[in-house]
Amino acid sequence: MNFTARVARGIKSLLVGLGVTGRHLVRPVVTLQYPHQRPDASHWGGPIELVTFPETGTHDCIACNACARICPSDCFAIEGKRPEGAKKMRATKFLIDFSTCSLCGLCVDVCPTDTLQYSRRYEDVAYRRSLTVNDLLAPFPEDPYFTGKLA
Amino acid sequence: MSALHALLAGPLGGFGATLLVGVVGIMGYLTFNVLFLIWLERKVAGHIQRRLGPMEVGPHGVLQTVADMLKLLGKQLLTPVATDRFVYLLAPLLVFLPTMCVASLIPLGRAQAFADMPYGLIIIVTLSGLTVLAIFMAGWASNNKYAVLGGMRSVAQVVAYEIPVLLAVLSVVLVAGTTNLHQLVTNPWPRLLGVPVPYGVVEPLAAVIFFIGITAETNRAPFDIPEAESELVGGFHTEYSGMRFAMFFFAEYTNMLVLGALGATLFLGGFRGPFQGAVPLLGPVYLLLKTYLVVFVMMWARWTFPRLRFDQLMSFAWKLLIPLALANLVATAVVLGVLA
Repeated sequence: MNFTARVARGIKSLLVGLGVTGRHLVRPVVTLQYPHQRPDASHWGGPIELVTFPETGTHDCIACNACARICPSDCFAIEGKRPEGAKKMRATKFLIDFSTCSLCGLCVDVCPTDTLQYSRRYEDVAYRRSLTVNDLLAPFPEDPYFTGKLA
Repeated sequence: MSALHALLAGPLGGFGATLLVGVVGIMGYLTFNVLFLIWLERKVAGHIQRRLGPMEVGPHGVLQTVADMLKLLGKQLLTPVATDRFVYLLAPLLVFLPTMCVASLIPLGRAQAFADMPYGLIIIVTLSGLTVLAIFMAGWASNNKYAVLGGMRSVAQVVAYEIPVLLAVLSVVLVAGTTNLHQLVTNPWPRLLGVPVPYGVVEPLAAVIFFIGITAETNRAPFDIPEAESELVGGFHTEYSGMRFAMFFFAEYTNMLVLGALGATLFLGGFRGPFQGAVPLLGPVYLLLKTYLVVFVMMWARWTFPRLRFDQLMSFAWKLLIPLALANLVATAVVLGVLA
């Protein structure tokens, strides 16, 4: 290519470049102003939580330990007790060590009562490792099966 | 401005009044301008990258640069032990002085510039070359290899790009027949097909060369190799902190404004515009609009083009820009000779 053609090509490429950035300049921005604007988390699979069933208003964990057995990271610590006169157990302690959880979802799949699900939380933070242990029963301060409201 | 002059002329005397109004007015405006330009730069950069830029301090982040300035004011001023102390301290002051002198020479309206010189254009070209001296002083006195390299690159670059700028300016001077900036604007414009047009239309090549030249002289991308972060840390201002660093920043953005204003005056008709004759206050408005247009294009270019390598930069200036500017000057002279 001779000199003039190269110069012409160079000038053209500069203008094309300005055109590209100029178009982006007037297009809408793609970033979110995070604390003010929130992303759509409806498809987000966050830390595991217990499902609240609308019929009973509580979870349906029977402390079967299926999740604890299938968990490849051994995050679960579950204890259960049988309410008086009931056939099924109820969980009395349900801890997940989120620092080792890989969110693989095997517990969600294996749960016989479908009471485990991914939460929509995406902002969990902690300063100490001990705080990464999630108490899944914390949203359920009282269990209607134990207080006799449900049988 | 003339009314203000008259007001102050009595008690203070003409010269004192001009000095006072000039210094206070220019410094105040330039400070405001730097804060605005840095904000604008960040906004332009943001939107080109599909971001929003500063948004938190004030509506759309307009006060962000004020906060930044306050932060810089509060920072400790560090002086490295091995510096050439006097030169080191002088450089941030000196970098700003020529720019301010040049700012006072740009005609703002039909009334007057702060200083009206018969050879204003020559003085501007001379003064704007002085900035590089301060930059080299900063680099040299810092006693830091990156700073010295940045300073040396800056000198080489400005020396190379002064020439095409000067030649481009000269071709306008040839057409206009004056080096007085005020006359340059108010003289009857050249006519193209019977329509009076600004000098930029009859000298498009000179306008482009001038634009490239001032981009290089203000050390802005794609010609920002004196402060190429990836190679030279901060370049000549590596060892400066706090307000001393801010002075270099201040000078860069003021330089952008002043050279943009010079470009607007030379090529875009300066303070002239519709109804400007009837409403004199529109003069500065037109000038600033045109100036910020030039500055905006400089910002646009910065966020579009990658930085040039040093040898590319030099060969571009010496092998392409200077011959082109010379040819343009000769062609202008020939055309003017034929027409006359």
